[in-house]
Amino acid sequence: MTQPIDISGYTRITESIRTEAKRILSDGTVSAVIGYTHVRRKGSTQPILITNPDDSEKLFFSEGCLNNLVVYLTKSKKDVPKTGKIGIVVKGCDLKAVVGLLGESQLKREDIYLIGVPCNGVLGSLINPATELNTKTIAAKCRECTDRMPVGADFVPPVELAAMPQMEATYSDKIAKLEAMTPSERWEFWKEQFSKCIKCYACRQVCAFCYCEQCVCDRNRPQMVEQSPRPSGNFSWHLVRAIHLAGRCVGCAECERVCPMDIPLNLLNRKMAMEMKELFNSEAGFEVREKGPLNSYDEHDDESFIR
Amino acid sequence: MSRIGVFICHCGENISRTVDVELVASTASQFPGVAFATDYKYMCSDPGQSLIKKAVSEHRLTHVVVAACSPRMHERTFRKAVEQVGLNPFLCEMANIREHCSWVHEDREEATQKAIEIVGMLVERVKKNRVLPTITVPVTKRALVIGGGIAGIQAALDIADAGHQVVLVEREPSIGGHMAQLSETFPTLDCSQCIMTPKMVDLANHPNIIMHTYSEIEQVDGYIGNFQVTIRKKARSVDENKCTGCGICMTKCPQKKIPNIFDRNLGTRTAIYVPFPQAVPNVPVIDRENCTMFKTGKCGVCQKVCGPGAIDFNQQDTLIVEPVGAIVVATGFELYDITEKPKGSPIKGYGEFGHGKIPDVIDGLTFERLASASGPTGGKILRPSDGKEPKQVVFIQCVGSRSREKGISYCSKICCMYTAKHTMLYHHKVHDGQAYVFFMDARVPGKSYDEFWRRAIEEEEAVYIRGMVSRLYQKGDKIVVMGSDISVGVQVEIEADLVVLATAVQPRKGADALAQKLGISYDKYHFYSEAHAKLKPVECATAGIYLAGACQGPKDIPDTVSQASAAAAKVMTLFSKDKLEREPIVARVKENNCVGCFACRKVCAYGAVEEKEIRDRQGNLIKMVAYVNPGVCAGCGTCQATCPSKSVELDGYTDEQIVAMIEAL
Amino acid sequence: MHTEKPKHDFEPKIIAFVCTWCTYAGADLAGTSRMQYPANVRVLKFPCTGRIDPVFIIKAFQQGADGILISGCHPGDCHYISGNYHARRRFAAFRKLLEFIGVDLNRIQFSWVSAAEGGKWVDVVTDLTERVRTMGPMVEFKDLALEEQWSGGLNSPDLQEIYEAM
Repeated sequence: MTQPIDISGYTRITESIRTEAKRILSDGTVSAVIGYTHVRRKGSTQPILITNPDDSEKLFFSEGCLNNLVVYLTKSKKDVPKTGKIGIVVKGCDLKAVVGLLGESQLKREDIYLIGVPCNGVLGSLINPATELNTKTIAAKCRECTDRMPVGADFVPPVELAAMPQMEATYSDKIAKLEAMTPSERWEFWKEQFSKCIKCYACRQVCAFCYCEQCVCDRNRPQMVEQSPRPSGNFSWHLVRAIHLAGRCVGCAECERVCPMDIPLNLLNRKMAMEMKELFNSEAGFEVREKGPLNSYDEHDDESFIR
Repeated sequence: MSRIGVFICHCGENISRTVDVELVASTASQFPGVAFATDYKYMCSDPGQSLIKKAVSEHRLTHVVVAACSPRMHERTFRKAVEQVGLNPFLCEMANIREHCSWVHEDREEATQKAIEIVGMLVERVKKNRVLPTITVPVTKRALVIGGGIAGIQAALDIADAGHQVVLVEREPSIGGHMAQLSETFPTLDCSQCIMTPKMVDLANHPNIIMHTYSEIEQVDGYIGNFQVTIRKKARSVDENKCTGCGICMTKCPQKKIPNIFDRNLGTRTAIYVPFPQAVPNVPVIDRENCTMFKTGKCGVCQKVCGPGAIDFNQQDTLIVEPVGAIVVATGFELYDITEKPKGSPIKGYGEFGHGKIPDVIDGLTFERLASASGPTGGKILRPSDGKEPKQVVFIQCVGSRSREKGISYCSKICCMYTAKHTMLYHHKVHDGQAYVFFMDARVPGKSYDEFWRRAIEEEEAVYIRGMVSRLYQKGDKIVVMGSDISVGVQVEIEADLVVLATAVQPRKGADALAQKLGISYDKYHFYSEAHAKLKPVECATAGIYLAGACQGPKDIPDTVSQASAAAAKVMTLFSKDKLEREPIVARVKENNCVGCFACRKVCAYGAVEEKEIRDRQGNLIKMVAYVNPGVCAGCGTCQATCPSKSVELDGYTDEQIVAMIEAL
Repeated sequence: MHTEKPKHDFEPKIIAFVCTWCTYAGADLAGTSRMQYPANVRVLKFPCTGRIDPVFIIKAFQQGADGILISGCHPGDCHYISGNYHARRRFAAFRKLLEFIGVDLNRIQFSWVSAAEGGKWVDVVTDLTERVRTMGPMVEFKDLALEEQWSGGLNSPDLQEIYEAM
């Protein structure tokens, strides 16, 4: 049964973000603020970078603010971080990406000013941007979200969030369903999904953690991963992507959202996150860690699979 | 364009019996890039090697694959051979068609097919091999020795005698360590001070030795041949250059009742003190916690009486940086104590022995001080509580050691011998006294050791009781020892005047912190780990760092001295060359691609990965990248497998080489 | 002494990724001890299991491997202190990923084989070979490769004709 979700607080959050952005730009705390702004199409949004305090009015927050803006802070978008200390609007899920990047020496805490947004969820897609946010239209990641309040941000709008209705956990359900299948059924499932891939690499482009200057998948000597958008190469790409993000992905699900072929990419990431939790009791994005689960070890790690 | 030579060895009949070597050679000659292929009876023999060398010259070969035995057997041989004709040794690979093929398969057809495939894989691999120049690292011919006990002293003297400078760092105000505390030493009963103090003086006077006492290691940077060690010289409050060691300050110091740690708190000392009369250097130190001047700001008697004006109440800690090429770690041990341990501690105390609260229950080292002629009692065995001569003394072995339930499962190795020695010393000094020893079993291997132990029983009348003590308690001025004699199966109860516990040998407190500074590994008890239990018992896994003495595990004096000399020999071997040569199988960072996530540094067990700044011509920082120090890298390649963008690559095992092999399958 | 070996319809291709210090030496020992095992295995030598990249496993499957063995030093015995511990984690995670996308994990064996365990090497290789033999060829990755060839349509009679005319 579809239930509406109370996001009345978003208006006050918008006001609060504007005031704070104006303040930090005026007093020189930051040189720029990255946030969301309206576009002409009603309900749709786009990222914006402002440097003038007067432009603060352009900022806003709504259920249409899907993007994880943190991607603009990484080295793959070289020019943004060069401008000095930057303010950035982050939801709880986005903030976890910041935490991950701090642990991977990609960001310095003193170089960023975090405007954390208390969040009751965003839409699954902006195809129909004017849609009302309800238990059906809400993004899948928001259904199982546990980070509605950003922790450790420099500024959080003083807004109490309304209680959320109960929702099914879509990813866990899907993973459980897949796990119940036979290996060959699973193979068929993923074969169909990966065959759709056109190797546009939007998933890589949008990912805060795909900040390598040269992706291993673009390498020619040797060609570790076949580059053409055909089934064999597609499999390699998605496997390499999943293993490279294992223990690092914070589940912002941007890869899945931007995929033009609707490949359930976050399913792989969530599965790996579950395994990291189970195998190494490790969860990404909650604290700045010196070492991730796959670049550390414990002498007593499980080795029941090793003969 | 590659011109590869493939050489198939018959190994007598070892290979050719099951592998059709001619067929392998003729097939290999058809592989793309192969310019020459042949087979021969014994490739590793002189004529075999000449055949390869001749072929390299005649056919202008660029790479060589030798299909023969395991590379673990002859890779060096063939690489050396091709080097003699001007080919880089790393352009030669071996295909293992003996151990991995002809010896393990009987079917000739199968084995031949497998051999062909193995050769094919190696041909593809060798095409991607690159010229690797030998890596040389300069060597600073100065050594650092950490710890001034017998291990550190021995190592320092040996290295200094070989003509190299040695920097010795000791935490206490004097060198000497535990051996300076001992009375007489087994198995010869010669006086410890008599054999120790001359060595201490030698060390102090040695022109090649710089001694930093009352100092600790602050930081260690660098790598084998090129360490930079920062030493914290703690404020002594006495100027070492001015002090003449006359000792008048100590006689005049009004604070006289401070327990003397060197004497295991049995005697007292002043606030300005040398730990013991034969201390080296003979320069006192002010114990700031107990000095009236530091506590109240009034006193300064020592300063007034000091002729040369050596007292300096304002002295600060100083940091000294010493460049060294090798490090010997000789931090020694301390004794386990039976006091109550904090909750959750893996090592437990002994409530059944009174948690160390019964005054006449002492440990072995305290007994040494009692028996020492220079000790607080002048060598008389007098018990701490009332100063009476004990007539019944019970010695208990394996206290802490070999008891898993108390948290230490290892044997402390020296206790059987020193307890036997204690019974003898006691018997010599208290003729009408009786010594009892509770022991599990006597572990006395070593030259003249068993004879010594038997002498304690047979000639010196010690009563050895096989069994453990379950409880100790005070009763009047006696200590009741309740134990069992398992050889006759009865309970034993002895009313003792003094009980001496042979407590476990443990690493020094802070051993783990020092290990982390040095980048060496340690076991769960914090004993330092050697690189190999049998074949590298002196080296650490971290190149250029060596171990001596009880910091590696419980050891007696002869073993400690042997290991110290062995460590010194290792240092001298390292110093025998001006430059260190090493196999160029090391990781290299492709700085263009590196984004500085430092995952490589996180997985490197050797600390070989450093941060490096990339700047433009104006000096602006462009980015931070990883840098692998070729002197430190051990060549495991874990960094490369971890690097998401493969911006670090292990020479000799590059992705190109490996993928070429996989693709040849 | 010479026993007649049974001929099989299917000979699986087994690729072994091993470290040079323990398992490679263990395999050498099996050789010097003249132990016998199936000839299906091809050994790739690495300095350490820590060097083995999961991508190599994908690559090996694509190159037609039917079974894969990854083997190194026992925990605590790593020549490079901790390479095998890192590998253990990496492959604990990677095998879960492979399982999730539908690779039968019976085709991948992980083992610790020391330089003294020639016998264990023989057992591990023999068991894996026999197990994969009963499972039949690993068709999944090979089929993907075939799909590629079709997608270009290079083998169509029309194209063939044009090609020959050229």
